[in-house]
Amino acid sequence: MNKRIAMGLLLLWLSQVALAAGTEYVMRVDGLACPYCAYGVEKKLKAIDGVQKVKVDLDKGLVTVDVKEGTELTDAQMQKLFKDAGFTFRSMTQQAKP
Amino acid sequence: MINSRRLRWIVALASGLLAQPALAHDPVFGIGPHVLYQGGVEVAIESAAEKAGPEKEQELALELTYGLTGDWAVGVDLPWVRKADDGNRSSGAGDVALFTKYRFWRRDSLGLQESAAVLLKVVTESADSTTTPPLGKGVTDGIAGLTWGYESRKWYRWASVRYRYNGTNPAGVDRGDMLRVDLVGGIRPTPRGYLEPDTVWLLELNGEIQQKARLNGQDLADTGGMQWFVSPGIFWTLRNFAIKAGVQIPVLSDLNGNQPDADYRARLILEWHL
Repeated sequence: MNKRIAMGLLLLWLSQVALAAGTEYVMRVDGLACPYCAYGVEKKLKAIDGVQKVKVDLDKGLVTVDVKEGTELTDAQMQKLFKDAGFTFRSMTQQAKP
Repeated sequence: MINSRRLRWIVALASGLLAQPALAHDPVFGIGPHVLYQGGVEVAIESAAEKAGPEKEQELALELTYGLTGDWAVGVDLPWVRKADDGNRSSGAGDVALFTKYRFWRRDSLGLQESAAVLLKVVTESADSTTTPPLGKGVTDGIAGLTWGYESRKWYRWASVRYRYNGTNPAGVDRGDMLRVDLVGGIRPTPRGYLEPDTVWLLELNGEIQQKARLNGQDLADTGGMQWFVSPGIFWTLRNFAIKAGVQIPVLSDLNGNQPDADYRARLILEWHL
């Protein structure tokens, strides 16, 4: 019985740690050719409440965004954001931050 | 009555050293289709110098640009000019210019952006045109441009054409309109990641074809003609800061009558995106 309670508490703690770590969004973006031009992407993403970290991989056309727990990014929001930044948003995947 | 030296200076003002806004990864002397992200502010400090025979001109300008949308930017040039010709010197505020650029076509793919834009610029007559040499033209001019650009992780290509309509000043001098043609190639020898220092080398071919100036309706013999320049240049950037520099070297000059050929032109730009 005690083992079950301990296991349950452990699972609860692990799930809370995972939630507290937030979410990582990975976006496929076309048109990213130069480092200087990507600054507008970083600036616009960091203006969103809850965005913690932005990484840009120009060779793979990937923009990785770490957000706090409770922050959600939508496809429609990213379509507009990248259009305003001068690029083309293609797709987005999300996963709990490791 | 306008004297010949003064007339030569006024006619020489037809081109203007800083005739184009320097937006992001655009060529140093030509124009490109780059605009600015929506809500972005670009602050650029531009320095230009030109020598043609006994005439020397230096210009320092503050250029401010704002991104209205991801494809449309507006801005203002606030120049300060210093001129010398034999024993005469003058310096002071130059003609303020207002400009807008609209990117009407864009095709994005992985690590590649192709786009085209139109440019409009109005160069006002705000500078003092009574000094010797005159700091301003004494009339408002207009520039319209069309540009295409190809930007990849390694290679750059641009082509552009600009037409400058030069007005007739109160002294009756029509400086003659000018057509500019630019073909530019660039290479990034080592593609860099975001937040890394990045260098792109450029080679521009810049052509200028100018009509003869007219005084009270009469053609002036020693004005107008054609000049071509080869212009090596460089971009160096780090995150939101850029340095751009280039030198125009004359390679072909077919100026009408007796006019000094250009010896060189140089341009240096420090630019921040905020």
